[in-house]
Amino acid sequence: MGVLIIRITLNRVHAIRDDWSLSASGTLDEGVHLVSGDVGSGKSTLALMIAGLFPLSGGSIEKEGITSTMLSLQFPELHVTGLTVAEECTSWGVSPDDILGTTGLTGKRDVSPLSLSRGELNRLHLACILAKNHDLLLLDEPFSSLDCEEKAKLCTRIGQTSQGITIIFTHEQEILPRVTRIWEIVDGMLVDCGTPPDAFQNWHHVPSIIEKLTALGSIPDNLSLDDLKEAACRIRG
Amino acid sequence: MQDPRIRIAAASILSIAAFISLLGALAAFLWWLVFTPRFMIVKKIRLVFSLILMIAFFSVVLELFGGNGFSYFCRMTVIILIGMWVFGEQQSGEFLNIGVWLFGTRMGFDIGLVAEMGIQSLSSVTADLDRIRIAEQIKGKRWGVHSLVPAVLVLVHGALNRAEDAAELLAVRGYRSGGTLCPVFNTGSLDRVAGLCSLGVLLCALIPVSEFFILYR
Repeated sequence: MGVLIIRITLNRVHAIRDDWSLSASGTLDEGVHLVSGDVGSGKSTLALMIAGLFPLSGGSIEKEGITSTMLSLQFPELHVTGLTVAEECTSWGVSPDDILGTTGLTGKRDVSPLSLSRGELNRLHLACILAKNHDLLLLDEPFSSLDCEEKAKLCTRIGQTSQGITIIFTHEQEILPRVTRIWEIVDGMLVDCGTPPDAFQNWHHVPSIIEKLTALGSIPDNLSLDDLKEAACRIRG
Repeated sequence: MQDPRIRIAAASILSIAAFISLLGALAAFLWWLVFTPRFMIVKKIRLVFSLILMIAFFSVVLELFGGNGFSYFCRMTVIILIGMWVFGEQQSGEFLNIGVWLFGTRMGFDIGLVAEMGIQSLSSVTADLDRIRIAEQIKGKRWGVHSLVPAVLVLVHGALNRAEDAAELLAVRGYRSGGTLCPVFNTGSLDRVAGLCSLGVLLCALIPVSEFFILYR
């Protein structure tokens, strides 16, 4: 029996809107990919394009072995279709009891999802999305409105994903998961920075903590807090 | 059209002309064909199709109950096309400029600011609606009547949040009423021609053309 390959190939994909454009080429294999870039650089548009929800102005996207795709939009309130938190969980096809327990929202079962704080709503939304396995999971700014503790939990959860392609589109600089490959959007073009730690040298949006650690001669293996701690400990000796 | 003063004046005149009579609507439609980017607007603002469909529904109802549904449909469609043209051509800050130009830096500034915020809110609602439809698609749901209640709740909630943010921002920046602004307008020669022609359209709507035909009969 052959091994199932899960892969996305971007063949000179580009999108043009008024005086703004975005070009992307490259291959994304199984694992966790980080796409960084400034606000307005086109991260959300690229996520929509890969999900097949934004018309391409040119090029093509080839998907191999992908049977289920999930995209988490930047603003979780736009996903809301349930009139209560429990209904919202059900609308994602997941059990409210499971989700409310893990997100600490048990007492808010019957309130409107729109009455939750932005952080609570994002937590609920991400818990619903991550409750199922997807061959292709696209997370657009998943860390927004989350506190450090929740960001760390999300990184752990993403790190537990054992199969498929996960692409994180973010400008987050502090708390990130271990990633397989780093990409960034610079001047309207998707650039493949490579795999960590080598990617740190080519990465324009490299987090300042990694820059500092590198300057002190201790390059972290990856982006997670554990990797950063380990690199910091190496300096102390 | 570069000058927003002429654009808004022309749109108001054309809307009145289109509303007055079928001939006025026809003349206004011809004006729309000559002086606007026409179908580029229709392509850009897809909301126009939904609005025309809604007008078509009411026109059919009107026709069935003895009213002149056809005339209503034609007149309202032209008004919608003109409205969409104004909306599509509008640039950020134009209403503020017009408000100050018309009524000065106190009341004019306030009116312009309210208009700017209204237009901004409308743009945000349109963008949000597009994203909500995408979000429904992601959940594997089809867009339909059942989607309206949650979508409207999300849109109203978003609009209220944005209004609150804007109010807080204005308060933090010390806004009480009025402001300093020197409005600047660029008036092209085509703007003047289009403005004058819109007056011609209004004349067409006001003059009882059928009376002339009676004279020649």
